[in-house]
Amino acid sequence: MGRRAGSKTRSLTGWLEERLNLTEMFSFLTNFGLFPAELDTRRPLREAVSEALSRPMPSYARWPRVLGILSVLLFLFLGVTGVMLAFYYQPTPSEAYDSVTAIVRDVSFGWFVHQIHGWAADAFLLVLLVRGWRLYFQGLYKPPRELLWMVAVVTFLAATHADLTGRLLGWNAAGYWSSVRAVDMLYSLPFLGPMFSFVVGGHHVDSLVLLRFYFLHVAVLPGLLCALFFLHFSGVRRVGLSHAPHDKPSGPGLFRVYLFNLLILTVLVFGTLVTLATVVPEAFHSVADPFSTPPGARAPWYLLASHGFLESFPAFVPRWLRGLLLESILAVSILLPFIDRSQGRTARQRRLAIPAGLVVLVLWLLFTWIGYRMEMVP
Amino acid sequence: MIAASALFALAAASAPANLCTLCHPDVRVEFERSIHATEQVTCVSCHGGDQSASTVEAAHRGKFRGRIRRRDQPALCATCHSDAEQMSPYNLPTGQYALYQTSQHGRALAKGDENAAVCTDCHGVHEILRSDDARSSVYAANIPETCGRCHSDSALMSRYGLSGDPHADFIEGSHGRALLERMDASAPGCARCHGAHGATPPGVGDINKVCGQCHTRTRAYFVESPHKRAMDEAGLPECASCHGNHRIVKADVAALGTVCLECHDPGSAQAELAVQMQTLYLVASEDLESARRLVEEAAAIPLYIEDYLARLEEGSTSLVESQPAMHSVDLATVERLTGRARSIGHEVESELRGKLEGRKWRRVGLVVFWFYLLVTLGALIRFRSRAAREIET
Repeated sequence: MGRRAGSKTRSLTGWLEERLNLTEMFSFLTNFGLFPAELDTRRPLREAVSEALSRPMPSYARWPRVLGILSVLLFLFLGVTGVMLAFYYQPTPSEAYDSVTAIVRDVSFGWFVHQIHGWAADAFLLVLLVRGWRLYFQGLYKPPRELLWMVAVVTFLAATHADLTGRLLGWNAAGYWSSVRAVDMLYSLPFLGPMFSFVVGGHHVDSLVLLRFYFLHVAVLPGLLCALFFLHFSGVRRVGLSHAPHDKPSGPGLFRVYLFNLLILTVLVFGTLVTLATVVPEAFHSVADPFSTPPGARAPWYLLASHGFLESFPAFVPRWLRGLLLESILAVSILLPFIDRSQGRTARQRRLAIPAGLVVLVLWLLFTWIGYRMEMVP
Repeated sequence: MIAASALFALAAASAPANLCTLCHPDVRVEFERSIHATEQVTCVSCHGGDQSASTVEAAHRGKFRGRIRRRDQPALCATCHSDAEQMSPYNLPTGQYALYQTSQHGRALAKGDENAAVCTDCHGVHEILRSDDARSSVYAANIPETCGRCHSDSALMSRYGLSGDPHADFIEGSHGRALLERMDASAPGCARCHGAHGATPPGVGDINKVCGQCHTRTRAYFVESPHKRAMDEAGLPECASCHGNHRIVKADVAALGTVCLECHDPGSAQAELAVQMQTLYLVASEDLESARRLVEEAAAIPLYIEDYLARLEEGSTSLVESQPAMHSVDLATVERLTGRARSIGHEVESELRGKLEGRKWRRVGLVVFWFYLLVTLGALIRFRSRAAREIET
């Protein structure tokens, strides 16, 4: 019985293999994190995979390598819940709030999907941020991983934009005023500000800005994130998994263990999101009113530091200069691999980079606190 | 040259020339701001004389009246304002002069008392504005001050046996605060109770009718009550006995504890009734308030609250109605209205509590969910270690 079923499967794979390059297709899919090694796409799928498995491979659904695949998992949760929300959401100022209310109140398990989407978004950003700091402190931007570092920074930036555009969609007071503050901030940046105004097309958060944020949120930014994941994982397959300086290389055949780790991780992520959504649901805010700023309106958490930084200068420093400073910080963080060209990866070999990183981290926290205290004045 | 000819052309267009203002330029400034300036009213309409004459003698000839004497003034204004034909394009009433003659002011003037208010005392002289112009002295919110100019003058009022400062009292009372602080145009100024042109203080027995113009339900309940007849017999002013006249005390259930005791003995059946009505009201109000807090809690989740809001509104209506109903001093009536408010409050609260309790099942669901999750995790960990052992061997 079992043999017959097995032969049937083999013949089906064989039948398909004669008509499609399954290895090529599998190879493309695994570029999104499923499989951490390169495949020989000229060979049949089974052979290519077992050949790849016979090479030594560290299990990477474990701390701290887990952060990469964790962000992909959270992105998947965001994608699935996002599609569900999009079935009911209407992106116009008159309908947006009511449609979200309908999702949360009237649609079966709508509140659940909405909460999972919100919590997964916060977790996604947090994971990407922690991952960035880990890459920095473990020196994982050094050759040959320069591109991976740059992709990681750009992924974080794209994710903050996805989050920011999403906050406006609910058309509630908190999201609306976050967007207003963020738009104000973006306009004080030279070069990037005019680019932003070209894309969004206005200083005032109105129906067209909502529509454009919606399109950016559901199509452009997820597409960009997918492309960045693809870049990242194909880079990982070429330069190998990250390893700490004292890591022992693991033996071959660990892929099955890795797959189980991935499944366990998925279950844990799902469990955490469900628990958060049920026990500490995010608040449902009142409708946005362009004529009244509610108390406690401020930029979203990841923008607080930039906002605090922009506003901490004495008044005689022109805004464009502050914006330029912010942009140079951004440029330095993207181009870091080409600025810090030292080779050593241990803390002893990085006498300057580690303290500098700590100083930047403390400053980031400090400016976040300053930004948090700058409530919007109605 | 061009400018001069333009001026000439303008002067020619606005015929006939009014030369009075050559000597009275300050009056011209005032008059041109007035509503009369835009109609066909000129200096000679009231003062007589010849406005086209360019010498003082020629201008002050004929039926020249000069400064209008106070006793002639109402009749002079009435020549136009009592003429239905002239007033009809403006849809203005024409009965003011007739009303004025019935008023205390008009009757005093007829007796030759020149201190009595005439038209210009309230409306202004040359700079007369529409009553709906906020700058006008007879604009709703300005009337108390206008009346107060004379009625708060204790030296003047003592001659008529009037004492007190009704203007100061009024602005401290709840009508005054509504009109002057909250700018509530529906709140009454002096004229709403005393009349405007026919200004007369309402008689003792008429107070409930005057107040009842706005407080219709209160009046309806009051005239049914034993108070009505008792007060009529004792010659007590009806509403004003408890609420005051110019300094109107805000009708608050808290006053039930004190106001009633001004006439009734503490411990009497009537004082007991006041406390009972007060308690009924306060309990119902607290019940509605607690239901309202629960509705707000539900709105933040969000749950459907539109239906509950409508029912709370219904409850509030009953509760509000119970206040005028207290003027009937009939416990059963008050009990019926406050009871309705209470039962609506309880109904909304118990339904919402049920819905909010229902949400707690989500936590129970979470426990079940975690049970299955842990089973799955256990299985996965087992499979993983089996796979790891296979690799080792």
